[in-house]
Parts: sequence; C-alpha cells; structure tokens
Amino acid sequence: MTVFLQSLISGILIGGVYALIGIGLTIIFGVMRVINFAHGDIMMIGMYLTYNLFTLAGIDPFVSILVTIPLMFLFGGFLQKLFINRVLGALPQNQILLTIGLGLIMSNTMMLIYTSDYKIISTSYSSSSISVAGISVSEPLAISFIITAAITAMLYWFLIKTDTGQAIRATAQDREAAQLMGINVKRMSIIAFGLGASLAGTAGALISPTYYIFPQIGSTFTLKAFVITVLGGMGSIVGATLGGVVIGIAESVSAVYISSGWKDVVVFVLFLLVLLFKPSGLMGKSRM
Amino acid sequence: MVKKLFSFFLALSLAIPNLSLAANVKVGFINSITGPEAPIGENLTNGVTLALEDLAKKGIKVELIKEDDTGKPQISMSAMEKLATRDNIAGVVGPYTSACANAVAKLAEKYKVPLLVPAAAKEEITRQGFKWVFRMNAPADVYASSLIDAALTLGKPKSIAFIYENTDFGTSTTKSAKEYVAKKGIRIVADESYSKGSPDYRSTLSKIKATNPDLVFMVSYVADAILLMRQAREMGLQPQAFLGGGAGFTTVQFAKEKEISNYVLSCTQWTDDVNWPGAKDFGTRYKAKFGKEPTYHAACAYESMMIMAETAAKAAGDREKTRAALKAGKWNGIMGEVKFSDYAGFTNQNNHQMLVQQIQDGKYETVFPKQFATKKAIYPFPKWK
Repeated sequence: MTVFLQSLISGILIGGVYALIGIGLTIIFGVMRVINFAHGDIMMIGMYLTYNLFTLAGIDPFVSILVTIPLMFLFGGFLQKLFINRVLGALPQNQILLTIGLGLIMSNTMMLIYTSDYKIISTSYSSSSISVAGISVSEPLAISFIITAAITAMLYWFLIKTDTGQAIRATAQDREAAQLMGINVKRMSIIAFGLGASLAGTAGALISPTYYIFPQIGSTFTLKAFVITVLGGMGSIVGATLGGVVIGIAESVSAVYISSGWKDVVVFVLFLLVLLFKPSGLMGKSRM
Repeated sequence: MVKKLFSFFLALSLAIPNLSLAANVKVGFINSITGPEAPIGENLTNGVTLALEDLAKKGIKVELIKEDDTGKPQISMSAMEKLATRDNIAGVVGPYTSACANAVAKLAEKYKVPLLVPAAAKEEITRQGFKWVFRMNAPADVYASSLIDAALTLGKPKSIAFIYENTDFGTSTTKSAKEYVAKKGIRIVADESYSKGSPDYRSTLSKIKATNPDLVFMVSYVADAILLMRQAREMGLQPQAFLGGGAGFTTVQFAKEKEISNYVLSCTQWTDDVNWPGAKDFGTRYKAKFGKEPTYHAACAYESMMIMAETAAKAAGDREKTRAALKAGKWNGIMGEVKFSDYAGFTNQNNHQMLVQQIQDGKYETVFPKQFATKKAIYPFPKWK
C-alpha cells in the first residue's frame, strides 16, 4: 500500500509539471491551429536560462521564474510575430516543418554555445524530501507542484475574467468572427504564443533542480506534450491539466507494477485506448 | 595551384613516416583518433606519447605508425592489413573499442602479428584461442565480480537489487553480475531496467526500497547516475552499499556531487594513487604534460606500448620471437604485475587485478583489494543525513 501511494504521489507531482508543458502547447494550438513542434526546445531554452541565472548570478531556480516568465513571453511573441504569423493560412505540413525547423535551430544553437555535455543544477534541496506517514515527498517537486498549481489558477483567472483573456478565447473559438467583432487577432496570437512559450519555459525552470539539462532534451518533452494535449483534447486547457496528471500517474504506477522499461508502452497504450473510445480526447468537446 | 598543393601534401604525408628511419623497432598503433570515441581515444594517445618518451630514455627508438580507425571495425581492419603487409611492423598496440579490437584480433591471427589490446572490455576477444592476441586490461565480467567480491569481504550481504539502463551496455554488465552473485549465493530481490532520460525514477526506487536489499548495483551513464543517487537519497533507500558498475559512477563530475556520491563503490582498471611501481609518477607527469587527470585508458595504453616495444626491440623485430617473449615474459610496472596467461577459457589474458574505489569527501580512493588500498573502506553505507 505504501509503495502504491508513493508511486501515486510521485506521479501526481511530476504530472503537474507535465501539465504545464501541455497547457502551453494546447493554448497555442487552440488559438492558432498550429501544432508547435518546437515546444520541447522552447522548454530547453527555459532550462538553460535557469541554469545561467543559477550559475552566473546565483539566483535560485524557483525564484528565477520571475525572470524566466517575462523573458520567455517576449521570446515566444517574437517567434510568433516573425515566423508563425506568416504561415497561419498555410498548409498544416508547412506549419509543422516550420516549427520543427525552429526547434532544430534552437537545439543546435544551444549545442554550439554549451556543447552537448549534461549540465546539472545542484541546490541545497535537490535531493531532500519530507516524509509523510512513511511516504517520502520530494521537496523540489512539491514546491514546483505548488507553483504549477498557482500558475494554472492564475491562467484560468486571466482567460475567464480579463478582457484580453476573453479575446483570446474568442479568437480560439472562431478566428474570423472574432476579427469581425473588432478583436486584433494578430495581437492575440502573439500573446497566446508568448503565454505558451513562457509556460514551457517555466516548466523547464521548475524541473531543472531535479533533472539534468542538455540541448537535445526537447524532443522527449515535445512528444510528451503532444500526447498530453491529444489525450486531454486538442485546445482544451482543463484537458491538458488532466492529461498531464494522468500521464504522470500512468508512468509512475506502471514503473512499479510492470517495469520502468515498459512505462512508455503503458502510456501509449493508454493513449491509443482513449483515442479509440473518445477520439476527441478526454475533454474534447468543451473548448475554453 | 590546387593540384600542386595537393601533390605537395601527398608527398609530405608520405615523407613523414619515413622521417625517423633511424628507429630500431617498428610498432603499429591503432586507435580512435577521430569519431565518436575520440575523447577516450585521446587518453590512449597521450599514454603512448609518454611511453615513447620513456622508451627513448631506455635507448629504444620506436618508429610508431599511428592508424586512425574512427571507431569503425572495417576501417580498423584495413588499418591492420596495411600495418601487417605494407609497413612490416613487429607488433601492434590497439585498437580501443571492443568491436574494433575483436575484428582486428582475427586478422592478427591470420597475418601472425603480435597484437596487444590495451583497454577493450569484451570478453570474447581473448576467448577464441588466438595465439597472437594479448590483452592488458581485465575483461567485462571482472567489473561486476570485483565489486561484489569487495562487498563480500567488507560485510555479509545476502540480497542484491539491480537497476540498470536498458541498453547493450547496461544489460550485458548486469548479466555477468547476476551470474556471479548466483554463484556466491546472494539472492536477487529486484531486477529493474529503465529507459535512459526519464525525469523520475522514484517509483522504481520505492519498489526496490520495499524489498530492502543489502546491496544496490547500478549501471548508468553520468547524468542518470547523479539522478538515481539523488532520488535514492530522497526515498531513503538505505542498503549496506551502493555499487556503481558503470561509466557514470567513475567520473569527476559524479564525485563532485559530494552529498549524494560519497561512499559509493565503483571499480576501475587503474588509479593514480595505487602503489604499483611508477603509478603515482605517471599521474603527476601526465597532469603536467596534458593538463588533466589520467584515466585508466592512458595507463593501459602506456604499459601496453612499453611492453610491446621493449619485447619487440629485444627480438629485433622478429614477430615469432616477439610473440614467444610476450607469452613467456613477466612485467611489473604502472599496471602492477602483468603476465599473459591461459585460464578460465581465456588465452594470453593478463589476469589484471581490478581496483575498487570509494568516493570519500569528493575524491576517489582505492579501498580494495587491501594490499593496494590507500584508505579504509567505509562500510556499511552511512545513514543519509
């Protein structure tokens, strides 16, 4: 029972970070109908940003998100304005090629700067844990889960209550109708991509005290983010949150009860089953 | 112009090997100078460079013919053919990787050229009954057995858990370890392979923790080694000893993470603090000349070149005499006692004593076997703070 609870809690905690990556991808898809295959690489940039802030300026990874969020927002907005806006009306395969290309440029640039060596951030709490009734909870993961929850809550509030948020949702629902209503959809796209990028960057920052960093790390997380978004329903933020946690738990529990070598198989079987019985994803219908 | 330049360089490249015609012994050296194995290959080249200096001091001039195999067996094989038939060398040292060494071994046998493999671990290389193939380093199965022997001497472990990455390297190392513990009567309580690069090994570790093993044996590369130890600390996994059976546990980067790497046991072919004759001196010279710590590859290559060149010089470059002298000879240098003998299915294999090292205060210290130890081993593993 302890082992089960342990794996459940580990799964939920890591799932929180996954959710953050998935939400970023789903916002971008929802507003632009563009699948961002550079998402993992944007996250990787966030990780290196955190790494630099930590090693050069001595800023704690969790504090550094105050810098990472605005910087990654600007970076995402810049990408959208310069590249993505140009292909919004293009064929889907062209959009995919563009984002894959952007991702390759990012990872190879980072490789030129930092070489392909693994970088590890060692904080005083990197391997500390709190023990609750025989279950050990990783301190850095618990903190990042709390931050993730706070950010997600703020995001909900932003999208539902503020004017800009409502405009973003309107753009996501029907781009042309939104434009007719006087919404500047180009600007909404820039904001949406900026949001997506800063969420990915934040996820990178939050995971970096417990993980390692190298330029090719992006592809693993792009794939994971893609699975999470499709599982939750493309474009649904609630779906992506749920999807992230489900994937986290599935990985963790299957590692215990089957084998950690098999956990990816379990995740993809689960993924296929959901698609088979609910092709639009868990929250497919209700798009925010 | 281009043509002229080309022919000039061609002439130059032909001329360079002939510059040292005065040499009295010709030795070939196949190594991974470029390609993916190049960073490790560099250590071997450095070791050989130091060996040539020392040989010159002894009055043995070596004409070294270097061949780059780029880590590919087929290129390695053509290099060997060239050395054996065209360059007329007395013997060959190399290649570095197991795949290349295994391919070249068959050619050495065919052309009757003494081949001394310095640092390739695959067991098969010296298990095919070849008369002309010698090996300096200990083969792969000794990695696991020396670690487990160390643990058995230090305490009385009854159970062992394995956690390793699901690659060729991870599974094959673990396989020989499993066979060895079965012989020693240690119970295997967990056998977990993982796919490299996942951010979370906590659930696997909690499963291992539930079996309460006396020993935890891990095979991983650098980044995963650090991650596994961090999360083991988080989970409070508390065995009598952590055994690091692979690459990731013997790096300076791992040792620097003192909080989690202290008291982890790992094994290696050579350390610079071992009391084998000349080992410390080799370490200081190496650091002075190349500006970094010598790896065991450098020491293996150094000693291999010393033995090969000296033996070949004494035999006046005669291959058959060189082979006989290698087989009969006995040396004692920076790799300890070296003798190429036949045992347990191996032929011409140096029964090299692997060293077990423990990280103490961020530094690797040799702790086992006792006669070579510099520090006392800390056993069992202290409680996590």
